[in-house]
Amino acid sequence: MNTRSFLRSGSRGLLALLVLATGYGCGGGSGAATVSNPLTTPPEVSNYSGPPPATADVQSFKLNVWDNLVPNNRCGSCHNDSQTPRFVRSDDVNLAYEAANTVVELTDPAMSIMVGKVRGGHNCWLASDDACADIIQSYIENWAGDTLGGVAKEIQLIAPPQQMPGSSKNFPDDPSDFAATVYPLLTSFCVDCHTDTAVVPQSPYFASADLDTAYDAAKAKIDLDAPENSRFVVRLGEEFHNCWSGNCASDADDMEQAIVDLSGLIPVTEVDPDLVTSMALGLPDGIVSSAGGRHETNVIALYEFKTGTGSQAYDTSGVEPALNLTLSGGYDWVGGWGVAFTAGKAQGSTTASTKLYDLITATGEFSIEAWVVPANVTQDGPARIVSYSGGSMARNFMLGQTLYQYDAYLRSDATDQNGEPALSTNPDDEDLQATLQHVVMTYDPVEGRRIYVNGQFTEDLDPIPPDLLSEWDNTFAFAVGSEVDNQNRWAGTMRLLAVHNRVLTDEQILQNFEVGVGEKYYLLFNVSAHVGIDDAYVVFEVSQFDSYSYLFDEPFFVILDSSASPGSIPMAGMRIGLNGREVAVGQAFRNLDVTITDAEYDTSGIQVLSTLGTVVPLEKGPDEDEFFLTFERLGSATNVVVEATPAPPPPPAEVPIDERTAPHGIRDFAEINATMSTMTGVPTSNSQVASTYDLVYQAMPVQTGIGGFISSQQMGITQLAIKYCSVLVDDTGLRASFWPSFTDWNASPGAAFGGDRSAVIDPIIDNFVGRGIATQPGEGAVATEIDDLISRLASGSSNTEDIMKASCAAALGSAAMLVQ
Amino acid sequence: MKLRRFRVRSGGASALLIAGLLLSAAAAADSLDQAKRLHDRIAGVPPDPTTLANMADEIQLNNDPLAAALIATDAPAFYSVTLKNFAAPWTNRDRSVFVPLNDYIATVIGIVRDEVDFREILHGDILYVGSGGGVPPYSISNNDHYEALESQGADLRAALTRTTQSSLTGLPANATAGVMTTRAAAKAFFIDGTNRAMFRFTMLNHLCNDMEQVLDITRPPDRIRQDVSRSPGGDSRVFLNNCIGCHSGMDPLAQAFAYYDYEYDVMSDPDGEFGAINYNAVGEVDPDTGTRVESKYFNNALNFEHGFQTPDDSWDNYWRAGQNVLLGWDASLPGSGTGAKSMGEELAHSDAFAQCQVKKVFRNVCLRSPETDADRAQIDVMVSSLETTGYNLKQTFAESAVYCMGN
Repeated sequence: MNTRSFLRSGSRGLLALLVLATGYGCGGGSGAATVSNPLTTPPEVSNYSGPPPATADVQSFKLNVWDNLVPNNRCGSCHNDSQTPRFVRSDDVNLAYEAANTVVELTDPAMSIMVGKVRGGHNCWLASDDACADIIQSYIENWAGDTLGGVAKEIQLIAPPQQMPGSSKNFPDDPSDFAATVYPLLTSFCVDCHTDTAVVPQSPYFASADLDTAYDAAKAKIDLDAPENSRFVVRLGEEFHNCWSGNCASDADDMEQAIVDLSGLIPVTEVDPDLVTSMALGLPDGIVSSAGGRHETNVIALYEFKTGTGSQAYDTSGVEPALNLTLSGGYDWVGGWGVAFTAGKAQGSTTASTKLYDLITATGEFSIEAWVVPANVTQDGPARIVSYSGGSMARNFMLGQTLYQYDAYLRSDATDQNGEPALSTNPDDEDLQATLQHVVMTYDPVEGRRIYVNGQFTEDLDPIPPDLLSEWDNTFAFAVGSEVDNQNRWAGTMRLLAVHNRVLTDEQILQNFEVGVGEKYYLLFNVSAHVGIDDAYVVFEVSQFDSYSYLFDEPFFVILDSSASPGSIPMAGMRIGLNGREVAVGQAFRNLDVTITDAEYDTSGIQVLSTLGTVVPLEKGPDEDEFFLTFERLGSATNVVVEATPAPPPPPAEVPIDERTAPHGIRDFAEINATMSTMTGVPTSNSQVASTYDLVYQAMPVQTGIGGFISSQQMGITQLAIKYCSVLVDDTGLRASFWPSFTDWNASPGAAFGGDRSAVIDPIIDNFVGRGIATQPGEGAVATEIDDLISRLASGSSNTEDIMKASCAAALGSAAMLVQ
Repeated sequence: MKLRRFRVRSGGASALLIAGLLLSAAAAADSLDQAKRLHDRIAGVPPDPTTLANMADEIQLNNDPLAAALIATDAPAFYSVTLKNFAAPWTNRDRSVFVPLNDYIATVIGIVRDEVDFREILHGDILYVGSGGGVPPYSISNNDHYEALESQGADLRAALTRTTQSSLTGLPANATAGVMTTRAAAKAFFIDGTNRAMFRFTMLNHLCNDMEQVLDITRPPDRIRQDVSRSPGGDSRVFLNNCIGCHSGMDPLAQAFAYYDYEYDVMSDPDGEFGAINYNAVGEVDPDTGTRVESKYFNNALNFEHGFQTPDDSWDNYWRAGQNVLLGWDASLPGSGTGAKSMGEELAHSDAFAQCQVKKVFRNVCLRSPETDADRAQIDVMVSSLETTGYNLKQTFAESAVYCMGN
């Protein structure tokens, strides 16, 4: 079989071809420079009195693996004296080392027989087989770190099973078929636990009273193409999980039949025969690419949230006692490892939490490292992301969120019981974003608190000098997502959490950030049929991005036969297919247009096709979804995609006659100002007018619709009108021009207005209303109104100029000016 | 002919009296009403009696209401009031009309006054400045020049002079893009952020489409920058159903602004009142990126590190396919290029641009949006007219006013 090997360093590191044939090499890479051993305090450690370790590697094996597994409550009860392989035999650790080498794979600890055996259910000492396997894997990784000088991992590309993109059945958007077939069984027999309203709600909520919720949750448990493989069926028939009739086989048959019925209602999605496709494969066919390489030398509590179900989050650090967390309240396990807290909490016992007190106060320094996805940037309190506390006002440490900032609280001799004053990231920097972030809070007696986001120090300095941790309280409890008293909940997803009892260096933090989070796979899409070369692949690094999507990242072309060369292969318009059809959204590689050439290929052993990644929607779940690639051009094969021309939208309906806008409107604030200036002859730049305008312009109409006119706007208009008229009357030149026939400015009102008032009123009509314009107010009516006003004012104490101003303003501030 | 009330004039223009003798009384009243409304709607102020009479004559005697409307476009208030407030909301994020005169507004006013191809507002090397005693010269670091013009009540019809941005602002001629590269636009839309605001508000103001209207999730997301979370709050459905729909088209177009920024002293001038547009010309390198691309294009780059990293100011219009074909792109243009100038031309040459300008004018003059099939047919007529008259927006104002002058 042809295989190709790569060294992977960091999530965004370039793949470097190391070995051109089957086999392993030893790599350095960017793995941790492991220099000290993890602090472990395993229970019931045997006092070893046999021959000393013969080599440094045996010594490393003893410290990292043997010491941890030799107790009788681990593997020592069998694999010490009686059961082969005797990898924890206590008579001679050198012989145990030899035995262990038959069941471990140092270059890929996850592939060790020892890990696989436990993961498969072999005598795990915890409730979760995966948790035990992860713990043993971490022991082996620490050993490998010592032995190989780091745990940078060699990736070996092996040809996956070859299968054509299959026709498949896909869940319709409408849940009605589900409601008629499977849903009744779920709501009848699973409703006591698997609903969000159960006494002890058990995720997933496929028996929820809300059909859409149940449908979404049930999809991952149903295999439409092979109903007998559905998780619902297997869980009943083979795992005997809460069968309702007492006969699990019968219940499994009922469930299978319901799924068969559902499947029968759903048509098959056929692969378009015109497509130029690769071979197909699923995520389980991929090659694990997770780099390892995390620096965890001094980790004392580690949560990877792999369990995916239940109410326990296991501490897989391997450091005893395990500080397992109990989940409560509103939470959901998320795909790709993690727990989403809505109004929930994960809390350890106070007894187990003393591990943190003991191991951190022993060193006087620590680091809290987390991969988080804050649900929003509006929560505060601070919202507790991680806290080791006794209540809302008493804690040893806390990492929290206030809007866009992370907050680090720490009790020391220099801070109060609550760990204040806090260190917070600068809110203007908006370091916290509602997306997947790697955040680290460190503390040591020299630098004090420091916060790192996505591998970078935020440059926010501790506001107080560091001090001792002698005020810590060992009765507090460790909690995630909430204060221990259930206050100050944090909404967000926690995908990994580690507590180290040493400060992570800048380099180590960056290293852990670059490793990323979650399981990643190389998916090898065979394209040999179109390029004419055996074992030619387009390879993606694929991971489950969150509960609803996959990440397809950095595609490259490779031929597993290292002696082959590509020649010249044109490739264009690559798309990702899922379950028999091209995905409608997220096709970041459809503009790809490259030629795979010998020159490009030979220099690196692969040809990178793109440095981009994209997310595509998850449909059936990571165990069921089948991927393939399509190409508009690959080698000599083409499938030109021509997009349909969209039809123009139909014209909008006419507005009914009685709802149409009135034909007239009003002037806006600026038009009013300009109009008053035009009508009176007073320039808008006049200082008195401009001053008043500055005061009232925002009170006047902005919109010109007559229906929006309100009384407060009239007040603004009136003030401005009065000012214009005041300036007009006070300016002898302007008023003489405006009222050319009126000369009694200094006369008493009785004398000035006692006779014919046309010299006063006619200019107002001429300038403000206009003559002969049907849509303006009637000239006679306006004249009468002004005449009446003058009469009223003249009988009082007003002087002539004031009466002229009032007569002017009454007309100027009226609809005669305003309406257009 | 319908009979209408007739009011005997007791004053006003003698010309109208003469005309009234020649015409039926009812017709004269109609033409006066129409003339007044034309002037009100175009200039925002009523006409003086002589102008009113002249316009009525055009309507009644010459049966040429368009000529009457064009008379109204000579009114100073058309420029200082109508056009100023027409353009003012385009120059700030709040779309407020309560802003001082600035170079963006003045340039729009000048382009309409001089009947310049209105598409130049998105790609021309064009700027209008004023003059007058006590008016400080144009500055790239303050707005004093235009505020002085406004406070003096300057007649913008006469005071504005056409010039080029490249001669006054320091921008290379090929880096000018009409109003998008004016100081006012830079202050509003290049300030802070990621420069997407310039694109969004240009689409909103000049193609009459906000991002929601152009959302198309089927476009390839290969140019979406790293700062856009692909899983906001841990839920990638939000990205796949919403964010991607705008960013997939917007980001490759907004890449045209990669060399622009609005620089100001955040400590002494937190609102950026005295900032200036910056453009990384050939040979100028951003110290953070090591290229001509402004560092703001890499804000929050670790939100999704697998996203697009901007290398230059090349742009592509992905909306030339998919549902946004309906925006009517110019087939004679390539749909891709480098820099804001050619991207502005791409936008300005779309059918949506012409329709948007006509609809805005219609709304401004008729005081309402199109409501009937007849209104929409009139929009189509005016769009055709705009396209065949060299994108002379003054003509559109006149045509809209005639349509809404009543009968």
